Amino acid sequence: MASFTERMVPVLVLWLAVCLAETWAVDRGNFKTCDQSAFCKRQRALKPGESPYRALLETMELTNTRLTLQLINDNNKVRLLLELYRLQGNITRVKINELKPLKPRYEVPDVLIREPPTEPLSLLSQDENGVVLSLGSESQRVIISARPFRLDIMEGSDVLMSLNSRGLLTFEHLRMRKDTFSYKVTSTVASVWDNIKRVFSSQADPEAEKKEEADPANQAETTKEEEEKVEDGMWEETFKSHSDSKPNGPSAISLDFSLPGVEHVYGIPEHADTLRLKTTENGDPYRLYNLDVFQYELYNPMALYGAVPVMLAHNTQRTTGIFWLNAAETWVDISSNTAGKTVFGKMLDYVQGSSETPQTDVRWISESGIIDVFLMLGPTPKDVFSQYASLTGTQSFPPLASLGYHQCRWNYNDQEDVQSVDAGFDEHDIPYDFIWLDIEHTDGKRYFTWDPHKFATPKEMLQGLMDKKRKLVAIVDPHIKVDSNYKIHNEIRSKGFYIKNKDGGDYEGWCWPGSASYPDFFRADMRAWWASMFAYDQYEGSMENMYTWNDMNEPSVFNGPEVTMHKDTVHGAWEHRDVHNLYGFYVQMATAEGLIQRSGGIERPFVLTRAFFAGSQRYGAVWTGDNAAEWDHLKISIPMCLSLGLVGISFCGADVGGFFKSPSTELLVRWYQTGAYQPFFRAHAHLDTPRREPWLFGPENTALIREAVRQRYTLLPYWYQQFYHAHRTGEPIMRPLWVEYPQDPATFSCLNLFVCSQVWFDIHTFQKHNGAQNLYIPVTMSSIPVFQRGGSIIPRKVRVRRSSTCMEHDPYTLYVALNLQRTAEGELYIDDGHTFNYEKKEFIHRRLSFAKNILSSVNLAPDAQFTTRSWIERVVILGASKPSKVTLQTAGEYSQLEFDFDASMSVLTLRKPGMNAGADWTVMLQ
Amino acid sequence: MRFQVIVAAVFWSGFVESRKVRGISSSYKRFYKERKSFLCIDGSKIIPFEQVNDDYCDCEDGSDEPGTSACPRGRFYCTNLGFRPHYIPSSRVNDGICDCCDASDEYNSPAHCQNTCWNLGQKERAYVEGQMRTLDEGLRLKQQLIEEGVLLWREKQAQLRELQQVAEDLQIKLEEHRRRKHEAERLKEQTLKALEAGDSGLRHQNRTETSIFQLLDSNKDGSITVDEVKTKVVLVHDEERLLSEDEALGLLGGGHQIDLTKFRRTLWDVLTRGDSVKIKDTPGSDDPHLEAADKAAEWEATNLKKVEEAYETVNMEISDLRKKLAIDYGTDWEFLFLNSQCYKLKVYEYIYTLCPFNQVTQKNTAGTEVSLGSLSISPHIHQPLEHISKVLPGQLSFPSEEVLPSAR
Repeated sequence: MASFTERMVPVLVLWLAVCLAETWAVDRGNFKTCDQSAFCKRQRALKPGESPYRALLETMELTNTRLTLQLINDNNKVRLLLELYRLQGNITRVKINELKPLKPRYEVPDVLIREPPTEPLSLLSQDENGVVLSLGSESQRVIISARPFRLDIMEGSDVLMSLNSRGLLTFEHLRMRKDTFSYKVTSTVASVWDNIKRVFSSQADPEAEKKEEADPANQAETTKEEEEKVEDGMWEETFKSHSDSKPNGPSAISLDFSLPGVEHVYGIPEHADTLRLKTTENGDPYRLYNLDVFQYELYNPMALYGAVPVMLAHNTQRTTGIFWLNAAETWVDISSNTAGKTVFGKMLDYVQGSSETPQTDVRWISESGIIDVFLMLGPTPKDVFSQYASLTGTQSFPPLASLGYHQCRWNYNDQEDVQSVDAGFDEHDIPYDFIWLDIEHTDGKRYFTWDPHKFATPKEMLQGLMDKKRKLVAIVDPHIKVDSNYKIHNEIRSKGFYIKNKDGGDYEGWCWPGSASYPDFFRADMRAWWASMFAYDQYEGSMENMYTWNDMNEPSVFNGPEVTMHKDTVHGAWEHRDVHNLYGFYVQMATAEGLIQRSGGIERPFVLTRAFFAGSQRYGAVWTGDNAAEWDHLKISIPMCLSLGLVGISFCGADVGGFFKSPSTELLVRWYQTGAYQPFFRAHAHLDTPRREPWLFGPENTALIREAVRQRYTLLPYWYQQFYHAHRTGEPIMRPLWVEYPQDPATFSCLNLFVCSQVWFDIHTFQKHNGAQNLYIPVTMSSIPVFQRGGSIIPRKVRVRRSSTCMEHDPYTLYVALNLQRTAEGELYIDDGHTFNYEKKEFIHRRLSFAKNILSSVNLAPDAQFTTRSWIERVVILGASKPSKVTLQTAGEYSQLEFDFDASMSVLTLRKPGMNAGADWTVMLQ
Repeated sequence: MRFQVIVAAVFWSGFVESRKVRGISSSYKRFYKERKSFLCIDGSKIIPFEQVNDDYCDCEDGSDEPGTSACPRGRFYCTNLGFRPHYIPSSRVNDGICDCCDASDEYNSPAHCQNTCWNLGQKERAYVEGQMRTLDEGLRLKQQLIEEGVLLWREKQAQLRELQQVAEDLQIKLEEHRRRKHEAERLKEQTLKALEAGDSGLRHQNRTETSIFQLLDSNKDGSITVDEVKTKVVLVHDEERLLSEDEALGLLGGGHQIDLTKFRRTLWDVLTRGDSVKIKDTPGSDDPHLEAADKAAEWEATNLKKVEEAYETVNMEISDLRKKLAIDYGTDWEFLFLNSQCYKLKVYEYIYTLCPFNQVTQKNTAGTEVSLGSLSISPHIHQPLEHISKVLPGQLSFPSEEVLPSAR
C-alpha cells in the first residue's frame, strides 16, 4: 500500500494549468550568481578533460574496513588522501582530503547518526593501471584507475557510476599567502629549520630517515611546488558593499560524477523548481546555500532557505543516490547527453538501435571542507531511502496532533484575538489542532518573552486552548536582541556563546529586534544551554501544549551579504564559510531537545524550521518559507515537498493561502484542498494582508474549506501510520509516481498523466477508474480529485471532531479497495499519540489484508503492548461483489454481520462489526 | 440459554427505552415513538428501531443517531433543564469536553462534567435581572434625561426667544442711539462753525489789557502771581514746557505779583509783541456752548458703542444657541445633556478626551496632544458610539444606550 497523496499530483496539474503569471519577484541583484561567487567562477571555468590527478597505487593500504590511497596532482604536486569504505546496506563512501593540510579542513559532524558501520572490502586484482575491489556478494566492483585517477562502480558489465571521469576533481589546497611579509619570514625560517632538523635527524633518528627516504618524491615535489597564480577573489572577495576577508585563502573542492543510463535526476532541495532536475549548462548551477530570499522566484536554481546535498538518479533498472556531505556553499552542475533531444530524436535513436546510451553528468563544487561522498547504490528507490536513512536517520515521529490543521498568521494580536479565532473554529465547526503566534507576541522581539499588554496572562490563554484539547506554537528565532536588560542576551554574552566576528568581538547584525547577535549553535554547550531555556520554569508562560517554531535560522541577517552572515565570522576553530548550511539544522536540533527535556524525556517534540540540512528530518517539520498567494506558488508546493520527501524530509508543507499578498477566494479554497493532502498543513499570512480565517469568505466557501479540513481529519489514522512508516524506514510520505512505479518511464517526469496497470477509486464517489490510460477528471469547486489505489486498505476515523485529540478513542472505518486480483493490503498503527512510549513497545501495529474473500487483521508487533478503546465501526469494500453472508470471527466467536451492497458502484458496506481495533479478527464473505 | 437471551432482550429494550430519548428535543419526540422500525426523518431509509442511537450511522441525515457521535452531520439536543436548551454538533458528544451544562453530552467519556445548568441559570437569571435593573435604571435615567432635555431644550428655546427680543430691542435702541449720536455731532459741528464764523473778530476785540489781566488773574484777587503766570502763559515756540520760576518772575518784571498797572508795563508789552510768550491756547474752553456740544457728542458716541457691543454679543449668543439647537439630540433630546460633557479614556500610553458633539483629542504620556477631529453626531442613537470606537484602537467597550447616562 502506498500513499495516495501523490496520486492527486497529475490531476491537480489539470486545474492548476490556469495559472496566472506575474512579474512580481525576488530582487536577484541581492544574491550571487556563480559568476559573482569567486570559487564557483574559478571552478566552473575548468572544463572537462584529462585530470591532473594520479593515484599512487604504491601508497595503497587495504584493511578489512577501508582502503586508503594517495592521489597526486601532477601540476602542483600536492597530495591528497583518498579513503574508501564499503558501508553496510550497499553504500560506498569516498573521502578525499589533503594528505597534509596546512591546518585541518572542516568535516561535518552530527549529521550522520553514527559512524556508519562498514563491511569488508576485498581486493580482486591489481596492476600498475589500477585496482579492482569487490563490493560484497553482488557482482559489484569498484575499479580505481591510476592515471588519470578515476573511480568506477560496476555491476556485472554495467557502469553504475563514475567519479572524476570528466577530470573535474579539484582540491584547492590550503596555502600561505605569498605576497605577505609574514609568509616570507615563515617560509624562510621553516626551510632553515627543516635543514637543521634533517642534519640532526639523519644522525639521531634512523627511523625518521627511513621514512623520509620512503617518500623521496614528496620532498622533491614540495620544494619544487609550482608557483600558484593568484587570482582575484582568492584572498578577498567583495559582493555589493560586503567584503569577505578570506584569511585562509582558496579552499574549494569539486568532483564530477557520471551516471550512465540515467536521464532523470531528482533531489538537492531546496529550490523552487520542478521535481525533475534540469540541466544547467545554459545557466547557473543549482545552488545550495541557506538564504532568506525575499519573495522568491519560481523555476530557477537559486538557493533558498535549506540545503540537502543529496541527489537521486533513476532509470527503469536502478535508482542510486549521491550524498555530498559538505556544509559550505555548494553549487551543482547537471548536464546530459540527451538533453535537448526531441522525443522524435530519442525515438529515432531507439529505432536505429544506435547512439550512445543516455548519460547524466553531475558536478559538485563546494567552497571549503573536504570531499566526503556517500554513493547509495540502490537498486530500488526504497533501498536508496533506507540507505540514506541508515546514514542520517529517519523522519522524527511527530505527535499525532501536529498532523492536524494549523492556523497561523503574522500575527494574532492578543489573547482575546486568539480566543476569538479559537471560538470561530467551534462556531463554524471546523477542526483545528494548533494556533500559532508569530514574532509580535514577544516583548519587543525578545524571544522567550511575552508582550506584557497583549499577552499578559499566557498560561490562561494556553489553559483555554487545553480545555478544548488544542495547542499553540510560539516562535523562537535564533537572533537575539542586543539589550542589556534582556536576560537571554546577557547570559549568552556572559557565557561567550555568541558567534564572533573576524576581529574576535561578538558578531552583530540587523534582524527583527534591530541590532542582534547570533548564538553559536555549533557549540554543544551552547545547544545544551539553549535547550534548558525551554524548561517550564525558564520559559515563563509556557505549558505542555505549547510548541516551537524556529524561523530566520539560515541565519537571516538583514544587513549581511545576501541577507545572511558574513562568511569570515568565527565559530571556534572554524569560519562561518565552512559551516553555514548547518546553522538551521543545529537551531532546530537544540530546540527539539529542549522540548524533549522539559517533559523529562517523555513527550515527543514539535518544532518547525525554515532552514535545514541533511538530517533535519530527525528534528521536526519544515515549510517552504515565504511563498506568495499565487496559483504558481500553489503548484510549486507539490514538487518542492516531493523533492524534500525524496531526501528524507517528509514533514513538509507550504503556507496555505500564500504568505505574501492576498489570495482570491478560489485560490484560497484550492489551497486548502491541496494542503489537506500534504504532510504539514498550515495556513499562514503576512502582517499586511487582510484577515483570512476560513469563515471570512461567505458560507459557501466556509463549507468548502470545512470539507477539505474534515477530509484531512478523517484520514489522520492513515497519515499517522504513514509517519510511523516513514519514521521506521525513511521512505517518503508524499511520493512522486516513479517511486511507486519505478519501471514505468512515463511516471519519471511526473507529467499530467499517469500510466499504471492498476485500478483506482475516487475516494468520494467510489467511482472506479482503470489504469493505463490518460484520465481527464472534470472538477468543480467542491471536488478534490483524490484516488485510492486498488489493492490498498486505508483506515479512517469519520467522526470528525474539534481537534485530533478529541478523536483519540473514536472507532475506525476501513476502506478496502480491491485490485484486479481482488486483494488488498494495509496497516493500522495506534499508540498514545504523543509520547516516546512507542519506543518501549507501547503500540498496536496490525496488518490488514484482503484475499480470497477474507479480510483479516494480523498483529505485526506481537511483542508490543497497547490497549485502545477504538473499535471497527464499518468496513467499506470497493470493487466487491455481493456476498450472501458475512461472518466475523474474533476471540474464537463467530457472528453474522449485517451489510449493505450498492450494486451500481460495487460497494459493500459491513455494518458495525464492532471488534476492537487492536484485536485479531477475520471477516469472511460468502 | 434461551432464558438468558430473553432476559438480555428485556434489558436491552429497557436500555433502548432509556436511550431513545437522548439528544432529542420534545418537539422531535414524535419521530422517535417506540415502534418496530424507524424512518429516517428525511424519509430516505427505514431501519429497525433498535438501530436508533446504537452508535452507528444509518441515516444520511443523521436522524437515527441524535444521541451519539456516530453521524457526521448529526446534532445533539442539550435539554439543559434550568438553563437554556440548545443543539450541539454530534461530534461534540463524548469528546471529553463538556458542552451541555446538564453534562448530557458526555455520558460516556472520561470528562467529569458537572450539571451546572442550575448555577448557570441562576447566574443567567441574576444577569438578566441585573440587565433588567440596569435597563430600568437606564430607562429611568433616560426618561429623566429626556425630561431634562426637554426642559433644557425649552429653556434654550426661551432663551433664544428672549435673546432675539433683546436683540430686537437693541436694534431699536441702536437706531435711536445712532440717530442721537448723529444729532449731537451735528450740533457740535454747528456750534463750532458759529463760533469760528463770528468770532475771530470777537476774540481779538476782547483782548484788551483788562480782559487779558482778568483772564490771567485766575483767583480774581486783582493781582497776577508767578503761579498764575505759569499756568496761563507759555512760550510761543514751546507750548508744552511750563515756564520756570525765574522766567515767570522775569515776565512780571521781577516782582512776585503785579497789579493791572504794572501789568501794562511788563507782561502786556511782551504779550502784545507776541514773539516770545503767549496766552495758553484753550479754544472753546472759554466758550461754554462749544464745550457742552462737545461733551454731548462724546456721550452719545460712547452710548452707541455700548449698545453696539451689546447687540453683537447678543447676536453671537443667538448664533451659538442656534447651532446647538440645530444638532440632533435624539428623538426626545435625550442626548442633549452630552453637549458640554467630556470623557477621558486611558488606552495604553494614550489618554483620549472625547467631547460628544465636539472635539476628540489624543494625548500621550509625553504630553503631546493630537486632535483626532470633531465628533459629529447624527440622527440615530448608536451611531455616535460606533463613531467613537472607530477613532480608537480596538478593545474598547462603550457603555450601552441604557448605561450611558450613568457614566455621567
